[in-house]
Amino acid sequence: MPTLSWRTYLVFVATGVFIGLLVTTQVKSSLPSSSYIYDQLAVQKELIKDYVDDQAMLKSKIVALRAKIEENQANIRQSSKDTNLETLKELKNDIGLSSAKGGGVEINLTDGFFVNRENIEEVDQSLVQASDLRDIVNLFRSAKATAISINDQRVIASTPISSVGNTIMVNNYHVLPPFNIVALGDPELIMPLLSGEGALPDLQARVSQFKIQFSASAKNALSVPVYNGNLTIEFLQESSKGNQ
Amino acid sequence: MKHFDKIRQVKLARIGRRQFLILLTSILLGFLIIMQARSFTDVTAMIGRDTRADVFREIKILKSTNEKLGDEISDLEDQLIKTSDSGKALEGIAEEILKYRLLTGRVNVSGPGLELTLTGDIKALWLTDIVNELFNAGAEAVGVNGIRLTDKTIGFDTIPNGQILLNGAILKSPFVFTAIGDKQVLKDALEQPHGILQRLSQSLGGVEMALVQKDIVEMEKAL
Repeated sequence: MPTLSWRTYLVFVATGVFIGLLVTTQVKSSLPSSSYIYDQLAVQKELIKDYVDDQAMLKSKIVALRAKIEENQANIRQSSKDTNLETLKELKNDIGLSSAKGGGVEINLTDGFFVNRENIEEVDQSLVQASDLRDIVNLFRSAKATAISINDQRVIASTPISSVGNTIMVNNYHVLPPFNIVALGDPELIMPLLSGEGALPDLQARVSQFKIQFSASAKNALSVPVYNGNLTIEFLQESSKGNQ
Repeated sequence: MKHFDKIRQVKLARIGRRQFLILLTSILLGFLIIMQARSFTDVTAMIGRDTRADVFREIKILKSTNEKLGDEISDLEDQLIKTSDSGKALEGIAEEILKYRLLTGRVNVSGPGLELTLTGDIKALWLTDIVNELFNAGAEAVGVNGIRLTDKTIGFDTIPNGQILLNGAILKSPFVFTAIGDKQVLKDALEQPHGILQRLSQSLGGVEMALVQKDIVEMEKAL
């Protein structure tokens, strides 16, 4: 009389689960199966690369123009005393239109091992997220940092730090790991906040589980570049109320 | 003999049916495991703090950024021409000073925009994210509970008793965000599917939200 042993049942179950996994993965797979879609993806990537290259060129042009304007204004100062150039310089410093140097804190942050940022469907705690960078920047601001940058992108009050898929954009400019985040300011204020209990809880948990790599150190000589983005005003105007 | 063969055939048929059912159940189980794993992934993405936007949004953002950078270059070229002309140079400097005074929060400002009021128990990180979203949508000035955010503003901080500080002042619910910019673009950005307000609502139940577009938003200068 043929009876099935528990081993046979186990083999059947394992085989069934395996086939089920395979079939479902295949059915749900978002991988394109035709060369047309591959071509589309290639074109999109190429388009993004072109925009990023254009952006880098436009930003360097902006920096060059601002430098040239400053040079011309310095010449005006020599010929005329009443130019308010000191006021202008102070405002430019405040808004990040001049590079800054000094002591502060440097953070190096990067993805965990074995994760693929190229896979746009990957949602992994081992990837550094835009929210991690925002939290660090906010912490630096809480510690009264005077200038902040991420991978040489100056972070100013209006800098958006956002993600598009697994790409992170700072000032709408692509930045890739490893992330080098620099804050000028008093390390005595910044470091205790960074290591304090409750500061950056999500990030600290992932670092302690070796999901992402993080290091922070106080340094005497750091530099933060000039802001090279857009400052065009379209809607903002001086209020008629209370400015007397 | 025939009787035994018949019994054997019936048993074999039963075993065959059983095997088939086990196989079917196992396939279903495998399917469910994958679906569940994917569903967790989707939920994580949805309630996570960052939008899982697609490649088209990336292209749109880059295109719009490059257009704005082009505008900035045109402005700077005009400015350069003025600084080259001694007659117009002082005028150019005055214009620049006014622009930077507006941007740095040295004066009271106004303009079209919106007001977003959130009532409930909200953590500081969500406030940071909303401010980020407003600037990402092109806001030219943002304030929270009357505090204008500038490069000099001390960031959001949570003190041990759970209260949130901004620029050294305690923030209490309701949290009122004011933003000056293109009011439709700002509204669309906040309310987009899987956008910040939807994610916030899914992550923190019980938060009341009120979004009002305004022709004139007034914002006091930074302290």
